[in-house]
Amino acid sequence: MPPARSYKAQKVIDRFQQKLNRQAMLSLAACVHCGLCTDQCHYVLANPGDPTYAPAYKADRLRKLFKAHVDWTGRLIPRWVGGRSVYSDEELEELKDVVFGKCTNCRRCSLNCPMGVDMASFNRLARGLLVHVGVMPEGVAVVAKDQWEIGNQMGVLKEDYLETLQWMEEELQSEYNDPSIRIPVDKRDAEIVYAINPREAKYDPRTIGEAAAIFHFAGENWTMASEGWDMTNFGLFNGDDELGAACAARVYDAVEGLRGRKLVVSECGHGYRSTRCEGPNWARRDLKFEMESSVVTMLRYIKEGRIAVDKTRNPLPATYHDSCNNARSCGMTEEPRELLRLVTTDFREMYPNRAENFCCTGGGGAMSMSEYAPRRLKSAKVKADQLRATGAKVVVTSCHNCVDGLFDLIRHYKLDMQVKLLVSLVANALTPPERRIKRRPLEGFRILVIDDEPDVRIYLSKLFEENGCAVTDAPDANQAMRAIRAQPPDLITLDLVLPKKTGEKLYWELKKDERFARIPIVVVSGYAAIDHPKIDFHKFIAEKALPPPEGFLEKPVDVEKLIETVHQSLLESRFSG
Amino acid sequence: MHEPSPFLDFAQDKLQIGALLFMALVYSLKIRWILKFPAGRDRQAPSGNPEKNASRGAWYSLLNIAMPWAMPSTRNRPLFYAQFVAFHLGVAASILMSFLIPYAPRTIASAPAVLALQVVFAMACIVGILRLYRRIADPYIRAISSPDDYFSLALLIVWLGFSFLAAPNRPAEGERALIAYFLLTAFFLVYVPFSKISHYLYYPFARWYLGKTLGHRGVYPVQRQEAGA
Repeated sequence: MPPARSYKAQKVIDRFQQKLNRQAMLSLAACVHCGLCTDQCHYVLANPGDPTYAPAYKADRLRKLFKAHVDWTGRLIPRWVGGRSVYSDEELEELKDVVFGKCTNCRRCSLNCPMGVDMASFNRLARGLLVHVGVMPEGVAVVAKDQWEIGNQMGVLKEDYLETLQWMEEELQSEYNDPSIRIPVDKRDAEIVYAINPREAKYDPRTIGEAAAIFHFAGENWTMASEGWDMTNFGLFNGDDELGAACAARVYDAVEGLRGRKLVVSECGHGYRSTRCEGPNWARRDLKFEMESSVVTMLRYIKEGRIAVDKTRNPLPATYHDSCNNARSCGMTEEPRELLRLVTTDFREMYPNRAENFCCTGGGGAMSMSEYAPRRLKSAKVKADQLRATGAKVVVTSCHNCVDGLFDLIRHYKLDMQVKLLVSLVANALTPPERRIKRRPLEGFRILVIDDEPDVRIYLSKLFEENGCAVTDAPDANQAMRAIRAQPPDLITLDLVLPKKTGEKLYWELKKDERFARIPIVVVSGYAAIDHPKIDFHKFIAEKALPPPEGFLEKPVDVEKLIETVHQSLLESRFSG
Repeated sequence: MHEPSPFLDFAQDKLQIGALLFMALVYSLKIRWILKFPAGRDRQAPSGNPEKNASRGAWYSLLNIAMPWAMPSTRNRPLFYAQFVAFHLGVAASILMSFLIPYAPRTIASAPAVLALQVVFAMACIVGILRLYRRIADPYIRAISSPDDYFSLALLIVWLGFSFLAAPNRPAEGERALIAYFLLTAFFLVYVPFSKISHYLYYPFARWYLGKTLGHRGVYPVQRQEAGA
């Protein structure tokens, strides 16, 4: 006699039979237990000797149900073919531990199965069965609830979202000194409706600003929606097709309501997959508008010459991490690489890559399941080793989920790396003409600050650096001369009151030396004739028949006047030189 | 030419036909059963990559069996793949031999033909033994193995062993090997639809659907770049 079955276990079995489509049924039936998937899983590689992490073993937790209730032989003699039903709530909890805690649905095993068994798809199916009876990690329940109730998975309220957009707009206008930069909201008939990951609105709004700058300088007719702006979809992670349909429909409704021509999805692997690939199936909608990833949009802008980029602004060695959803479920592997090569100077491939890449270990909603964090971080060793081998200082990805997963493992494994999205690199490489003059007027120049007071040296160095230039400093004339001989700067700021040798003397030496005579000098000095009766610079240069300095400013300096003087001197020097 | 005994004659002819008809009937029902499950529909727009589409993806997926370089799981295990080829060649040759012995014995009567068959069967049998050992000794494989996995493999090993013995087809020197081979073949044909050995029935369906979806989405054919490339 089989044991009595719990209510929830019965519901799981009933729903399982309802949800089985042909693809899932074939995947459940076709496995020959060859074990070729075993070492394709990052969990297995990080836990050698533990067969419970093997993809086929994990898949068999659901396959047992299939064998016991659907398969021909299994219904007659279940044990012969490995079939076993579920009876208790404890067994459902065990299944939860496997399908949520030991798999990120990365699909690497699926693409390595000789039989074409799509394990990730039915792992998602198993998650959906459990969610249907309320068996799921708490974090998953919380996020799903937020997405059902508030319309986005991070519970960002509409007023906070709109305020963030407003804030970013003001930041951009200030940064580029351009009041015409806008982040349009609910603009009708726009070419592009831009949908984002709520993580951007909540934790990292810079990426919204960066995307807005790119759209602005590309001259794009674009908008964001005040509703239906979250392109992420927790339905993909928790296996709830109804939630998947609701989230996707919200975004589609927003685009159709605004009569947008194209939906552009910001960088998010699961968001892109959910919105572009799975959403139309879940929502049963045949959509009239186009959809694309912002990666494709940015690449097109550069290729069409709509934005100009300077790759030297991203000089650090960079590698690319393929998001599982982008690479293994949506085929987006080449566009990000093409874009990365256009905006960085040192791109290094990671191995394996593209559809064969390893998961960041934060996928499949893993970042919301804190109870499995130690297990996740242990499995991340595979990714950490991959990253370390590239020697890169920046790991670029095109997925917010991967950003969090990679950030976590970089910290855990103490890697000397930053994580960046492509939009940040493109925005950093952006070269609108206004930017160089108005925002960072001293960019590309080197300045030598000569002053005996440490505070003044630090103050001026910081000020110049903030305005884009490289700075060296010297506390006296002798050290200054050594620095100048080693590498002549583009400009010198000179204090006249220096120990041992005065600034006047140094000025004289420089102007007499034809190697350095053309270096512009801005005198920044606080001497007063009462304190230093012997110093009279104007008289000195007149007596010595020296050319006047390019600028003469008394301390305390007026910052704007100083930057303007330095900037003008540099431009004139460059023009005359 | 020595006339086979009535029992051997029955085993190699009527019994095989009966077993084949049974298998065909069960397979027809099984295909009907597969098609009863509704197929999920792909509504998403094509990837836009001119080199990748649903049809190309489906064919790429179907032909995966002949492309060991296509997946790391087979690319990095050439010996394992060679074993797979040897094993399945042996099974296919044995099935073929069950038709040739009763209906066209001359085609495999020559000494080189017999030797070739025996080499194929021996290799397949050895691979089967290695695979059985792996299934027992490897904790990962043992953990996923059902009684059917062991039994199916053992059945094939024994069958391939008798295929080796039956290949010379000399009933005059004793019919035991031939009778055992044909009885096992008949059992094999009847048992297959209910066991994991029927995976070849699922293969085209499972691969077709996976390839169609992944081709439509631009994943298949897989693009890759290896270190040093």
